[in-house]
Amino acid sequence: MTPSTAFLAIALVLLITMAAGLVRVIIGPSPADRMMAAQLLGTSGIAVLLLLAATLGIPALIDVGLIFALLAAVSVAAFTRRRIGQDRS
Amino acid sequence: MDQPTFGLILNLISTLLACGGALFFIAGTVGLLRLPDLYSRLHALTKADNLGLGLIMLAVLPQAPDLFFALKMLLLWVLVMIAGATGAHLIAKRAVRGDGEDIL
Amino acid sequence: MIRPRSLHRFMGPLGRLGLFSALWAVLAGGSPASWIIGAPTVLSATWASLRLHPDTGRDGRAGMRLLGLVRFTPFFLLQSIRGGLDVALRVLRPRVRIHPGFQSYRPRLGDPLARVVFLDTISLLPGTLSADLRDGLIHIHALDARDDLEPGLARLEAVVAALFGDSLESGPR
Repeated sequence: MTPSTAFLAIALVLLITMAAGLVRVIIGPSPADRMMAAQLLGTSGIAVLLLLAATLGIPALIDVGLIFALLAAVSVAAFTRRRIGQDRS
Repeated sequence: MDQPTFGLILNLISTLLACGGALFFIAGTVGLLRLPDLYSRLHALTKADNLGLGLIMLAVLPQAPDLFFALKMLLLWVLVMIAGATGAHLIAKRAVRGDGEDIL
Repeated sequence: MIRPRSLHRFMGPLGRLGLFSALWAVLAGGSPASWIIGAPTVLSATWASLRLHPDTGRDGRAGMRLLGLVRFTPFFLLQSIRGGLDVALRVLRPRVRIHPGFQSYRPRLGDPLARVVFLDTISLLPGTLSADLRDGLIHIHALDARDDLEPGLARLEAVVAALFGDSLESGPR
């Protein structure tokens, strides 16, 4: 017995929480809230990819996860760097 | 301990860890939806998520086909954690200073 | 005081080259052909890292310590588990139990890299989130601002200081 069935079920649960997180993207209220919800989607997506990589036996999915992590980091940095005034660090 | 029993216990541990991870992801999403202000939501986002991903990673770890895969997963978790904490700080700083382009 | 360089610090140019090479090996899965792309990548990563964050260890003061890392890792893991549990228990109750507010903390860490690590770990600790660092004062958002955050933060700061071999020059407490 492998835990693949349980992993698939948990991946499904994570997909449902991702869908629930989308509510925050819609209601906002501020762009920062929407950004945070997108971050949550990224992290959950990575978890789903890890579970699928183990269950389906596709190790390359972890590289997709790394890309997700990279995009999440870059998007937050870009989001917070866009300023109206002078950048004081 | 013989081989099949060991494997069974390992699988049980994997399943339990993955369930725990899912629980933290649920908590993170619930926090994101229920908490009243941006800063509190950031708390839920950074802490629950990183722990959730950590547990999922630990669950998948025994199923890893080789050592490189295991190390890569560990690296992925560390990177997500650093990015998450830094991102949370950046978003909070932007809100504290009120200098985002949307706040005019 | 002169400390043995190579043993305690691994943030010099050679140490970074080794670190990035190890990272590439993990990412590419150890296939020899991958180094055709890997070698230039690792070299430019080392160059970029030295350019963006010059070696702070010239005066023999800062840089990461292996012994500090051994102390930091379990502390960090335990605290982040506590942090996750804390926030999960708060939001999964029928009534969300928070009293959010701000507190400030004056860090005594001198090394800039150590400060970044301190700021990031604050956000993963139970109930605290580093919101801003301005005029040498860290503004911290707390899920429960009625607690005094000072002792926990001072303890974390000591662990981070040990990680970087930073002697906390005593600022105003």
